[in-house]
Parts: sequence; structure tokens; C-alpha cells
Amino acid sequence: MPRKPHTSPQTLSLFSALLDEPQRWRYGYDLSKETSLASGTLYPILMRLTEQKLLETRWEPSDEPGRPPRHMYRLTADGAALAEQRLAAKVAKPRTIGGAIQARTA
Amino acid sequence: MIVDQAVQESAVRRIAYAVLAAAVRGRRERGGDWGEAVLAEFPETTGDWAAVRWAIGGLRAVRYERRARRRELPRLVRIRRRAVLIALIGVVGGLAVNRFVLSVGYQPSGSMQPTYDISDRYVVDLAAFRLTGVQRGDIVEFPMPGTDRLVIKRVIGLPGDTVECRDGRVWRNGSPLDEPYLPVDLESSRTDCSATTVPPHQLYVLGDHRVVSTDSREYGTVGEGDLHGRVLLGL
Repeated sequence: MPRKPHTSPQTLSLFSALLDEPQRWRYGYDLSKETSLASGTLYPILMRLTEQKLLETRWEPSDEPGRPPRHMYRLTADGAALAEQRLAAKVAKPRTIGGAIQARTA
Repeated sequence: MIVDQAVQESAVRRIAYAVLAAAVRGRRERGGDWGEAVLAEFPETTGDWAAVRWAIGGLRAVRYERRARRRELPRLVRIRRRAVLIALIGVVGGLAVNRFVLSVGYQPSGSMQPTYDISDRYVVDLAAFRLTGVQRGDIVEFPMPGTDRLVIKRVIGLPGDTVECRDGRVWRNGSPLDEPYLPVDLESSRTDCSATTVPPHQLYVLGDHRVVSTDSREYGTVGEGDLHGRVLLGL
């Protein structure tokens, strides 16, 4: 059975962080702190989501001199819909061993 | 680019930043978008440990970004790159094995007849014999004393053994050797030598063709440390 995309616990915790205030642009470091994901886990997920047009990005021009512009993220409409759906599916899933195995292999 | 004050706080943070920046940018002015994004967040970290963790994760992110970029290359380019890489690893690995593990030698003389004939090739173990040590009867490869030409001879005496010749036969520690590997004609298998006790870390070696071979009967024992390899089999 092919793995269902965007169902890993890491991606789900990112989804729930992004859905807090879906319209706000978020920084990578804030997301990393809120989800307690390491940068090496967080950024590949962000890259995948962006590639599939589930996430939009922009560069925030820096206001302080000598400070590089920062990259910011926000879910697209598609992304928000998918995130809601994935999080709902996770809550609905009965907590049995079979479910856990399915969640891992699904 | 002026690096933020927050980066400069400690040596650990400076190093973490420098490593990450090198990974993101290499020699370019600006790296990939995602690498730059991780780098731009670096000043947000507080403390050495957080900075190092951020940088290590950043390296993984950079690798992921590179892989994604490679996936976008035309199929043929990817296949060609992989083929070149495999060929390179194969050549380098092969040379390393040939130099340090296993090699092939060439026997130019008749001194080991009939076991190895002129122009025979053989496989030499260059490493394992150092762990297992050599035994009586093994054939070893070493540079002939006074030259840098590699030759192969059979180990007759280990350190402490006494080797002598009587009635054309070799005696070791007082008993005559049974040497089935010698030439069949008595003329070529007849051995004459002067009695020797093998010193520590030395080996007494003889070629199988006792008439043709130049060996320990002429140049004395050979140092164990001078061994180049142990012959495993003929080809």
C-alpha cells in the first residue's frame, strides 16, 4: 500500500502550528520552537509542502542593516484544507494497535 | 555580508555559522533559497547548544535541497553522473585493494619450479598474513635482499628452528623434511646448505628448484618485517 503523504507525526505537528493563525506569515525558527522539530526535519517538510503548492513562501526584506532577509511561510488554501483534513483524520482514528500499525504503514 | 551581532557572541556560534554558511553557499555568493532561509534564522538561536543543533539540522536541510535539485536534472545527466561516480569509486577502490589487500604477482624465473613455472602468475595476500603470521611451508613474497625485485620462496625455518642439509636433503630441528613439492628428478631437488639457526624475527627460505634458486643459502635469512605478502594460489 503506498504511503499516504503528509501523515507523519512531524508533519501533523507542523500543520497544527501553521493552522493556529492560518493567515499569519511564520518564520522557520519560530515553527521549529513551537513544534520542537529540529531544523533538519522541519525544512525538508517545508520544502515538500512548498513543492506541492501547499505552502507559500516569501522573503521578508530586512529592516535592520546587516541583517539578511528572512524566509516566511503560510499555508495556501489547498494546504490549509489538507492540513485540517489530516489532523481530523488523526483524531478520528481509533487508538488501537491495528490503527497504530496502519498509521505507520499507511 | 555583515554578520549579525547575535552570531558573533561566542566562538562556538561563529564556527557553527561558518560551517553552515560554507555548506549552503560553497564558493557562491548565495546558496539555494532553503539553505539561505536556514542561515537567515541562525541569529534567532540563543546559546551555543541551540546554535550547533540548528546548524547540524541545517546541514541536513541543505543536503535535502541539493538532492531535490538533482532530481530535476535530465535523466541522462543523472545516469551519467552516477556512472562516472561508480566508475571512480571502482577504480579508486580497486587500486586501494591492489595496493593493500590482494594483488597479483608474476614469476619470471624457474626458481620455484615445479610449483610455479616461468611466467606463472599468482595471487598474493598483502594484509591477512600480518595477523595470522606465516607458517612453515608457506610461500612468501619479499624483495630480494640488496635489490627491490620481489621474489617468492618457500618458508623452511621459523625463528628458533635449526636448518641443515645432509645427503642432499633438508633437515629441520634434527628431522629430515618430507618435501613433496620438489622437482621429481633427483638432480634438481638435491639441496646443499650450511647449518643455520634462524634468529628471532627472521625466516629461512628456499626456492623449490634447489639448483636454480637463489635463496637463504646465499643471502641468509629474511626479516619478517621485509615480507611483502603471502602467496595464496597460482593463476
